[in-house]
Amino acid sequence: MTGYLLRRLAGVLVVMLLVTAVAYLVFFLLPSDPARLSCGKPCTPDRLAQVRALLGYNHSVPVQYLQYLRGIVLGRDYGAGAATLHCAAPCFGYSFPQGRPVTSLIAERFPVTLSIAAGAALLWLVSGVLAGLVCALYRDSWLDRLLTVGALGGVSAPTFLVGLMGILVFGFRFNVLPVNGYIALTDDPAQWAFHLILPWCTLAFVFAAVYTRLTRTQVLEVLGEDYIAVARAKGLSRRRVFVRHALRAGLTPVLTLFALDLGGLLGGAVITEKVFGMQGLGALLIDAVASSDLPVVVGCTVFAGLLIVLANLAVDLLHGYLDPRVTS
Amino acid sequence: MRRTMLVGAVAALIAVGTSGCHANSTSAGPGQHKVKSGGELDVLSPAPTINLDPAKSQNLATSTIHLVLRSLTTWQESATEAPKVVPDLATDTGQVSDGGKRWTYTLKPGLKYADGSPILAADIKYGVERSFAAQLSGGLAYHKSLLVGGDKYSGPFDGKQLDSIQTPDDRTIVFQLNKSSGDWPWIASMPAFAPVPQKDENIQHYGDHPMASGPYQVSSLKQGSTLVLSRNPHWDRSTDPVRTAQPDSIVYTMGLDPTVINQRLIADQGKDRNAVSSANVPAALLPKVQGNPSVAQRLATSPSGALSYLAINVTHAPLNNVRVRQALEYAVNKKAVQVAAGGAKIGGELASTLITPGIPGYQSYNKYPADPTGDVAKAKSLLGQAGHASGVSLTLLTQNDSINLAEAQAVQSGLTAAGINVRLKPEDSDSFYADTGASKGNYDLALLSWLPDYPSATGNIAPLFDSSQIGNGNYNSSHYSNPAVDKLIAQASAETDPAKAQALWAQADQTIMADAPVVPLLYARNAFLRGSGVANFFAPPYPPYADLLVVGLAG
Repeated sequence: MTGYLLRRLAGVLVVMLLVTAVAYLVFFLLPSDPARLSCGKPCTPDRLAQVRALLGYNHSVPVQYLQYLRGIVLGRDYGAGAATLHCAAPCFGYSFPQGRPVTSLIAERFPVTLSIAAGAALLWLVSGVLAGLVCALYRDSWLDRLLTVGALGGVSAPTFLVGLMGILVFGFRFNVLPVNGYIALTDDPAQWAFHLILPWCTLAFVFAAVYTRLTRTQVLEVLGEDYIAVARAKGLSRRRVFVRHALRAGLTPVLTLFALDLGGLLGGAVITEKVFGMQGLGALLIDAVASSDLPVVVGCTVFAGLLIVLANLAVDLLHGYLDPRVTS
Repeated sequence: MRRTMLVGAVAALIAVGTSGCHANSTSAGPGQHKVKSGGELDVLSPAPTINLDPAKSQNLATSTIHLVLRSLTTWQESATEAPKVVPDLATDTGQVSDGGKRWTYTLKPGLKYADGSPILAADIKYGVERSFAAQLSGGLAYHKSLLVGGDKYSGPFDGKQLDSIQTPDDRTIVFQLNKSSGDWPWIASMPAFAPVPQKDENIQHYGDHPMASGPYQVSSLKQGSTLVLSRNPHWDRSTDPVRTAQPDSIVYTMGLDPTVINQRLIADQGKDRNAVSSANVPAALLPKVQGNPSVAQRLATSPSGALSYLAINVTHAPLNNVRVRQALEYAVNKKAVQVAAGGAKIGGELASTLITPGIPGYQSYNKYPADPTGDVAKAKSLLGQAGHASGVSLTLLTQNDSINLAEAQAVQSGLTAAGINVRLKPEDSDSFYADTGASKGNYDLALLSWLPDYPSATGNIAPLFDSSQIGNGNYNSSHYSNPAVDKLIAQASAETDPAKAQALWAQADQTIMADAPVVPLLYARNAFLRGSGVANFFAPPYPPYADLLVVGLAG
């Protein structure tokens, strides 16, 4: 198991290096010049050169990339003397327009995205799996058909539409839920949850659909396996067979998907955050793209990549635990 | 958001210079009740962040930053007329000498910061100096090339000062320019001219809590989320000709979805009654707003605004022939463009000049008078004279959002009728601005919009038509180069008598239009909603945003 873990960690490092390299290419492939964004209005060639020198854009591409990597490990300073701009390690970049290191922006926004993602994930996992189990156990009944159609609706509906409909119906029409804004957990836990109900339900409705269908399929497949028939034949109760034997095998793919979905969502639930006016990582990324704040774009991409890679690692380790055949 | 509190802050929109309800009854906007003192005003904004560091700010004098900071001068606004420059921290708009190159300001006596310490002339000097530092660049930079030595100066953080700013005593500041500038009083209203006390500052965080010289100070700032402003106890109302500062506190909420903001204000429930929007009403919600009289009367529309125009690349054949360009002036169906922009009331009036209404010196004229839908016959005749009777083929560069596309299509269909075949080239905004600012234009026509940074005709003319502004990311997208016009621009910029300067700019406007390097399309308007508990809320002709400096709660 240890060897397996070490091999996977090495893989993580390699992938992250590739991710940073590809993300950094953004600086050179997009038409916008990040130095121009911070040059001022009107912008003269002298001032532009000054800003480029300060931000390190006057070096060659490989040198800039190496400086970036060095910053991630050791931190980075821009300028010199009394007015140095400090970017402490790990420095994923420095947002000049916002005057902050990207790391501190991410640290500030992450709790928002975490609140949205974790709550929604719990909701969709529980509701999706339960619905799927119900479908599997009562297959072809009216309940099964109803839930399957509902799942189809959830899979097809775009997130922003569901979100806006929710705001329109529950926020404006019936006036029972807040229409936007995020209250920090530390400020007011009750309000924090109250403001998150609509975003959680929106995301859960869209994601749970996939889990319902997947759980249903997986459980039905496992229930058809020989060893299940043997266990029943041996006299084990239906419930014991189902819970101890069928579920574990049936849910492994579901947990895999869950870890990947959660990892991806933690990098930023863009549409949900924008619709509900919550300042999470997704909103940060979209705003940075809109304003051509490239260091933030690169930093957020690298961070989101890191989360997905870690989620994959978690899934692999989980598989290693659940299915010993994998680690040998 | 759901709690019913006495909210009264209208922070998002922009502060207007004129004093409250009592004085100025020319503000004939709907629902102009008396403004009462006190309460909390809410401003709902789609902006992702707010920048309160004066060196890095590009904000207008009527924006939120000027609720906290005061500059040497400021703008006096009204709902219908062009703004005037008035003294703010200074006693007048500047004493000029040395042929327009030397400007002297005296600070009003007894001015204090929020912590009770006095505002000194040296603080204004320091504020301007720090705007030169590369670490704080990104703000309005009109002063940087005008001040002597400004081109070489890189800020006070390595111990060097800018000698062309002198402070002979605590209340006097003198600026030495390298050429005469009639716009200096406007330039002195910019955020960089706000006083910054010379302490060891953490420059990365100064904008989180700038030292307040205005009626409000930063109580808390959660960047990307909320800015709470509370009263500055040391702001003296009698020294401020423009700000009414009636609410006790102003809460500016950022990062909200524009549709949801406008839905909230249409619904006008609870706390939102004391809120205003800084997001334009989206086209999809206009029928809902205009169809409901109680909502429509809470809508403030600016009478004028940015100039929407078609830039003609004069270096590309056949557009290098003035007759072909003049044919375009007649051929464009401006009415169709207006409809695509939302109609006259929301989209804007048809434009025929370069200087926009709301800018001092605007004169209404039309060098190419035609029916609003265009004069196809005249256009064809001009094309014939130019030797292109069989028509021409042109590319039109546009941004690929829905409004720009709709307007571009309106232009395209109008020109087709005159035998001018237009191929649309939509691009995302990054590529679009890279292309229109490039030294070699790869387009024939481009659909653009321009709003000056301060209310002087310099801003309408110089950045778009001076030959030095071609390429390098600048805005002369027509690539227009006329030495006579360059000379006129230099002369008008240097003229310190406002009336004479305005006459020169009007002359420049007509001279340039005779060469037809652009087709003016619309004076674009903006429209903003307020809650029913808000008073004195309007958007002047310039700048076309709600003036936050005079909004308050209805009494």
